[in-house]
Amino acid sequence: MTEAVKAKEDVPPENCIPAAPLASILLTEELHRRPSRSPEYETENTALAALVAALADSPGTILQTLADKVLEVLHAGSAGLSLVTKDQKRFYWAAIAGAWQPHIGGGTPRNFGPCGDVLDHNAPMLFSHWELRYPYLGSAVPLADEGLLVPFHVNGKAVGTIWAIIHDRRRRFDAEDLRLLESMGGFASAAYQAVESIEDLRLEIAAREKAQSEVRELANGLETQVQVRTEQLERNTRDLLDSNQALEREIAERKRAEDNLRRSEAILAEAQRLSSTGSFSWRVATDEITWSEELYRIYEFEIGVPVTVELIRTRVHPEDASLVERMKMAARAPGDGTAFEWQYRLIMPDRSIKYLHAVAHATRDQNGQLEYIAAVQDVTARRRSEEALDKARSELARVARVMSLGTLAASIAHEINQPLSGIVTNASTCMRMLAAQPPNIQGALETGRRTIRDADRASQVITGLRALFNRKGLAYESVDLNEAAREVIALSLNRFERNSVVLRTEFASDLMPVKGDRVQLQQVILNLFQNAADAMSGVEDRPRQLVIKTQPEKGDRVRLTVQDTGVGFDARTTDRLFEMFYTTKDNGMGIGLSVSRFIIESHQGRLWAAPNDGPGAAFSFSIPCKPEIQRYL
Amino acid sequence: MNSLRLLVSVVDDDQSVRESLPDMLREFGYAVRAFSSAGEFLESDCIAQTRCLILDVAMPGMTGPELQRELAFRRQRIPIVFITAQRDDIIRPHLLEQGAVECLFKPFSEAALRDALDVALGVT
Repeated sequence: MTEAVKAKEDVPPENCIPAAPLASILLTEELHRRPSRSPEYETENTALAALVAALADSPGTILQTLADKVLEVLHAGSAGLSLVTKDQKRFYWAAIAGAWQPHIGGGTPRNFGPCGDVLDHNAPMLFSHWELRYPYLGSAVPLADEGLLVPFHVNGKAVGTIWAIIHDRRRRFDAEDLRLLESMGGFASAAYQAVESIEDLRLEIAAREKAQSEVRELANGLETQVQVRTEQLERNTRDLLDSNQALEREIAERKRAEDNLRRSEAILAEAQRLSSTGSFSWRVATDEITWSEELYRIYEFEIGVPVTVELIRTRVHPEDASLVERMKMAARAPGDGTAFEWQYRLIMPDRSIKYLHAVAHATRDQNGQLEYIAAVQDVTARRRSEEALDKARSELARVARVMSLGTLAASIAHEINQPLSGIVTNASTCMRMLAAQPPNIQGALETGRRTIRDADRASQVITGLRALFNRKGLAYESVDLNEAAREVIALSLNRFERNSVVLRTEFASDLMPVKGDRVQLQQVILNLFQNAADAMSGVEDRPRQLVIKTQPEKGDRVRLTVQDTGVGFDARTTDRLFEMFYTTKDNGMGIGLSVSRFIIESHQGRLWAAPNDGPGAAFSFSIPCKPEIQRYL
Repeated sequence: MNSLRLLVSVVDDDQSVRESLPDMLREFGYAVRAFSSAGEFLESDCIAQTRCLILDVAMPGMTGPELQRELAFRRQRIPIVFITAQRDDIIRPHLLEQGAVECLFKPFSEAALRDALDVALGVT
């Protein structure tokens, strides 16, 4: 049918004359006469509710949905919606359901179908075989046995119809059908508006999109152009920035290099100042001399004055002038060695002397010319402090000797005071006994005898001391300490036996002989033996063991140790041991530890004491095998 | 008669002192006991009877000042006269400060010893 209808669309409307009058095909009045079925509100409600939902969900297809619902609710053969075009000249079949569905999109000129009449009368109409009046519809099959149309309005203006068709004679529309169709026609108004606004919107959107796309296109063109330009600009800027950064980097690097240079120059200057070291370069061929600031300061010349050989000569100490000349001569024709080192003095305008130490080495400049680079240090302060140190050292040595002498004097006094005390007491007692009534002759004799004995003892002490300090007595000879110790042991065995002292010897077999005074060293050993024996005299709970040990030491030294298991001593009082206490007295002829120490020190050795891990103590001395200088009192 | 004499004890490691001093003290009229070490004196039975102690400063083992402290610790208030062969001007005031009656430097005179004994024994 569509083909047919479309083919006739081109026919001008004035040439199409209606074949039958309208009234002959209208059955509208009959609707109310026909027996009507009872109202189907539920169906209506369900349909309307479905339509409202469809309108909300998919407004784009609402017209078709409406057609479908009409078909369903009215039990029609076809159903649809016709809309008058905006120019009011045609009807457009916007949606069709049922048998006529293939005609969707078709339509008729306004006056060539029932819709025109319905709109003209603005009332629902029921037609019977409308093809009698509208021949165009004769080709639309299946033919419409009855067709029911209802106009619908928007804003009071009829814009289209909603219709249902019965193709089967056995069915007839009734009043209930009309009511339902009108009801749904009311909805069609809303659906139409929705669609229209959607269409408008669509159009609007399309137009906008088109406009936008045009603008976009335009913009794109522009943009592309701008982009190209921008990129060029960016590239240029980047290039510029890059070269700028490179430049900045270069500048920074140079600055850093300059800073470093300045810094190292400053450090060098500071280092020169701190170490009182100046430097100079000397181009031999031209006698061109360059000084550092510090060297100017050392020579006490104004910084910057041209340095000449003559100028330097005004400062060099006359006694060193020839030395400096010789150095210069040698420097002009360096042999194998290209480094020089020399010391010389300056005499300053205030007649003060400066001691300088110079080190120079030869190089060749770019032109192959001989050039010396030299460092010159002002060692005056060092020289002075060395002199002061030497002086202090000799002073210290003198003080040490005086102190040793003091200690020795105290020791001698002690050794002599002991027998003197006996002499005085005995003599006093002797006089008393003789003066008594009757005189105690026996007692006087005894005390007299003891007086003589003590006087002898004092005399012996003095003899021993004289031997000690007599230069002839200090005969330095080669002494085998093991041998010397054995002799002392032989002399002491009786005493050890008497005191229940067990002796053990640990002599090193590879002991080097020492240079020293044999008798003095033996006196020291004897003294250590006596100390050890005394310290053990009260020991009852453990063996009284005495160990004498010799051993070689590093640096060509020999050590001798005497160890006991006696009462020991408090480590804190070690130093006092050698001063006053623990001096052997019982035996009469003992010399104290202070004298022992004096002897050992005169052998350039050392005497010390150390407490044992267990009970007792160890006294040791260590002396060099080859004393450097023989030292006497 | 011996029981009436006051006991003076001598502690000195020097034999000549132990021989000579007791004779002189006996001449003065005292009873005398001599000991060669502090330990020997402490172990003896005459601490309580000793009215004066003549004590050497420097001795092996326990020294004179150590014996002085030991006696003080034992609450033995024996007057002490120190004797020493070491003329030490520092130790003397120190010993006197610690309660010694006197400190005589060897050799000392008979008179000096008598004076010290008189002070020690409260004879004025």
